[in-house]
Amino acid sequence: MRRTCVFFISLLLFFHSVSARAQDTIEFPLKIRIGMDVAGPAISYYNRDRLSLEGVLSLDRNEKMAYVLEGGYLKFNYSQYNYDYRTEGVFMRAGVNFNLLKPETSTGKYWAGVGLRYGLSLFSTEVPFFRKENYWGTYNSSLPGRTSAGHFIEVSPGVRTELFKNLSIGWSVRLRLLISGGGGRDLRPIHFPGFGNSGKITNAGINYYIVWEIPFKTKKVIRIPETEEEEEEETPVEGLPGNEVPQNAFPY
Amino acid sequence: MMKKSYRPILLLLFAAFEILIISCAPEACLEETESLVKASLYDNTTKRLRSPDSLTLYGLNHETVKLYDRSRGVQPVLFPLDLSSDNCTFVIKIDSVIDTITFRYTSKPRLVSKECGYTFYFNLTDTPFYTRNAIDRIYTANRKITTYNEENLRIFY
Repeated sequence: MRRTCVFFISLLLFFHSVSARAQDTIEFPLKIRIGMDVAGPAISYYNRDRLSLEGVLSLDRNEKMAYVLEGGYLKFNYSQYNYDYRTEGVFMRAGVNFNLLKPETSTGKYWAGVGLRYGLSLFSTEVPFFRKENYWGTYNSSLPGRTSAGHFIEVSPGVRTELFKNLSIGWSVRLRLLISGGGGRDLRPIHFPGFGNSGKITNAGINYYIVWEIPFKTKKVIRIPETEEEEEEETPVEGLPGNEVPQNAFPY
Repeated sequence: MMKKSYRPILLLLFAAFEILIISCAPEACLEETESLVKASLYDNTTKRLRSPDSLTLYGLNHETVKLYDRSRGVQPVLFPLDLSSDNCTFVIKIDSVIDTITFRYTSKPRLVSKECGYTFYFNLTDTPFYTRNAIDRIYTANRKITTYNEENLRIFY
């Protein structure tokens, strides 16, 4: 009985050591990132009716996930033939980023993945002028300034790469879903900070970030070798037994 | 050959860009922007919907600009309310018989859309005042006057 136990324990230790030898470890740097959006100021340069400033702070939890906090300010004026609209306020978005790259590909320098955010915006809106025409004539009116809060959620796929040591650039597309824009059913805002055009329940935007990275910890990540299933599937050649492969199947 | 692990990332980015491009495209104002009182015309004898052979409608003191001018088959009649006042009166001529209808109301602004801008919704504060030459009775079905296609009044004549 004792010998049987020793045999099984030895067998387990042997397979464990074999499996440990089959794995590899890489050093993955976890970082704090501080960044600013350059798309907003670039648009503001060409469109004087819009001033947008936005920054990001993120902290790597591990090689796959990072906590993200974004904040910003927007001043936006819009005019068309029958009304003028003004909004100004601040916003914050909190959430996580998921890296879809494998650690050995990412190495802390590259990121391609998706972010999930909850957004909160505090802003004031004003309609200094609007015009309505009907059978009885033209009627001009205005809506006084009011303060509102807007809520939304966001999915943001994107990419980022290291340009110089500890300096990265990257962009992400922002797909937003409005939860509440404030203002009730009658006077919901046309546009508000952090969300954009709130005339519709969904909206999209883009951010282009320059990010300064501060490594704070190195994590050893076990690299699991790719299994056969992940490679390109080979179609079995008709007439050959299942396990046999013709000699010219791999020309390189 | 592209590794399978990159395919979801590329598909996600492609889909996101498609949505971004669609959402950035400018749109036209296609919504209804005017809140009108919608009044259906009923035969007082049969109590069924019936359009008069001739209908003329204009605002009091606005007889030069007619909303309907001896029109046939009108159903429903649409009354635009005066935005600069809390009441307005219409002259209605049903089969050459003249009546007047006066509405009293409150109004509040409402956003239609970014493309269309703002409009007003109304609330009728009273049952309309009317003369009884051709009109026998007016029944108020819905006091809220909006841009939606909802019946507000039933005019029995």
